[in-house]
Amino acid sequence: MIDTDLAIIGAGAAGLAAATEAVEHGLTVTIADDNPRAGGQYFRQPPLPFRRNGQSWFDKEATRANALFDVLGHPKVTHIPDAVVWNLPEPNVLAVAAGDRSTRVRAGAIVVATGAHDRPVPFPGWTLPGVITAGGAQNLLKGNRMVPGRRIVVAGNGPLLFVVGASLVRAGVDVAAIVEAAPVNARLTAALPGLLAAPKLLRQAIDYRWTLLRAGVPVRTGMTAVAAHGEENVNAVSIAPIDGEGRIDRNRIERVDCDALVVGFGLTPSVELMRLIGCDLDFHPARGGWLPRRSTGFETSVPGVFAAGDGAAIGGVEIALLEGRLAALEAAVRLGRARDASVRRAALTHKLARIDRFRRAIERLFAAPCHYLDLLADDTVVCRCEEVTAGELKMRGREAWTSMVQLKSTTRLAMGRCQGRNCMATLASLVAQSMGEPIAKLAYPRTRPPARPIALGDLLHEPIAPPELPADPHLPRGQKVT
Amino acid sequence: MTGRRVDDGLDRGQPFQFFLDGEAIVAYPGESIAAALVAHGRNVARRTTRADVPRGYFCGMGVCWDCVMVVNGTPNVRTCRTEAAPNMKVQTQRGVGEAS
Ligand SMILES: Cc1cc2nc3c(=O)[nH]c(=O)nc-3n(C[C@H](O)[C@H](O)[C@H](O)COP(=O)(O)OP(=O)(O)OC[C@H]3O[C@@H](n4cnc5c(N)ncnc54)[C@H](O)[C@@H]3O)c2cc1C
Ligand code: FES
Repeated sequence: MIDTDLAIIGAGAAGLAAATEAVEHGLTVTIADDNPRAGGQYFRQPPLPFRRNGQSWFDKEATRANALFDVLGHPKVTHIPDAVVWNLPEPNVLAVAAGDRSTRVRAGAIVVATGAHDRPVPFPGWTLPGVITAGGAQNLLKGNRMVPGRRIVVAGNGPLLFVVGASLVRAGVDVAAIVEAAPVNARLTAALPGLLAAPKLLRQAIDYRWTLLRAGVPVRTGMTAVAAHGEENVNAVSIAPIDGEGRIDRNRIERVDCDALVVGFGLTPSVELMRLIGCDLDFHPARGGWLPRRSTGFETSVPGVFAAGDGAAIGGVEIALLEGRLAALEAAVRLGRARDASVRRAALTHKLARIDRFRRAIERLFAAPCHYLDLLADDTVVCRCEEVTAGELKMRGREAWTSMVQLKSTTRLAMGRCQGRNCMATLASLVAQSMGEPIAKLAYPRTRPPARPIALGDLLHEPIAPPELPADPHLPRGQKVT
Repeated sequence: MTGRRVDDGLDRGQPFQFFLDGEAIVAYPGESIAAALVAHGRNVARRTTRADVPRGYFCGMGVCWDCVMVVNGTPNVRTCRTEAAPNMKVQTQRGVGEAS
């Protein structure tokens, strides 16, 4: 058992900012992350052996990145890398699987900064090799300095498509098209005042757009990918326009050849741990789906548990940095250790309000223009783990559509290894549509630990009885998950 | 650049070999198995149980389990989260466990 003032789950922008703030108030910090190196998504570091002429990996971001990583060397900070926090047995205790053992961290307060993953949107062909997520493409690029193909289409919805497209161009790839569902050009004038609230971020966005323009990349807005084609690997993608009513016009399909298709339909916060300990969640599609309800001090409904960054609501790196600091500041206040709290809070909140205006403008610009369920064909796989198709789901008949819990048990959907992270959102949309109810009203199946897959061997080191594991049809009992 | 490894003034260290279904594959220290295979132009990691169709690297962050392969005899290893190592034996996974 490790005892610490503040435990932080996730060493991305939000978690590292929280650690930085916490040590400024004299708190001891333990920060656990399931990657070998800190940084999370935005500040992802390449493998340790990679070298680049003595230059930083982060180019323009070098100063900020170095400042964030410096905190890990602070005497009051313990960084546990390669560590999955798989349960919160009590709201102030972390169960951490690191290496092949499980340890516990008891804390005065906790900041959950678990980040996000790609929102999965099924469409015909999305399971083909060579079709990868926007996050997966960024991880290849940042984490391995690699590109997924030589002629790539980037399709979906949201600002990350432009980031990925520009990064691929800079890496020397032929980007065959960016296919953005939202009619962003038509919405630009209305969004401009909000975008101007954060001129530095706007300049960065223009920079991405300019990189694409100079490379002659066709940016097709108001269109969506409707199918990926190929046998052993994707070799083309069909795209179609979306009309003003949100209908996909399948009479005007175009085919674009490619050897990789990057899809991104926005991000979903990783709220599993918070769901597990019963934090109240609300449904906000614009911020990524189910989000923990938070106080103005970023505390969840469970006292002492704070949440910051993309793991609490999708907002991007600048918001993650500010929320991380604010959450740690409030935790320090709670522990009676904060210095100059009101002055610091005012300064940070002021900055956050400005960036929030930018964020809202971006959200309006990229608001989904169609219903993604319209992309489904009967043979489209909805659950990638159990290979359950949309047609099979429909065949369950209307009576099965009365609840997600029931549908899950009759189809095995969401019972595979991804623990529903790939299909639960689609399942919820389908059930909501068939019942004519808003998603926010649906009862979700109960979740159990582990919040993230861990090696079963870890549990042998547990001082208490291991929790019930979710049924995993793929693994014989005792099989090690790696 | 012609391959899939980006060379922006980057020193990746000493390359080594590992084996995909018996074929030698080049990797650099620190690269994930999945990334080294992508660099080799090979995106198929496994074939599914029900439909026997190919799957590969998708989420790149340990969430989707589509990149699992048989690594040194152990099935269900997420290759996007596992570093390649010299002489490692990696096999395309069929269904829930056997190498194909
Ligand atoms: C794959 C991916 C790539 C992205 N790339 C970019 C990009 O290039 N540019 C950009 O502007 N935005 C990018 N984003 C958006 C990004 O989410 C934010 O910009 C920023 O990284 C948010 O910071 P954060 O600290 O909230 O989360 P993150 O940076 O995601 O950090 C969260 C960290 O917590 C870890 N974690 C989660 N759960 C656990 C657990 N149970 N136990 C232990 N550790 C855990 C994660 O592995 C991760 O390291 C990306 C998002 C994703 C999902
Ligand atoms: S690519 Fe999704 S788990 Fe490896």
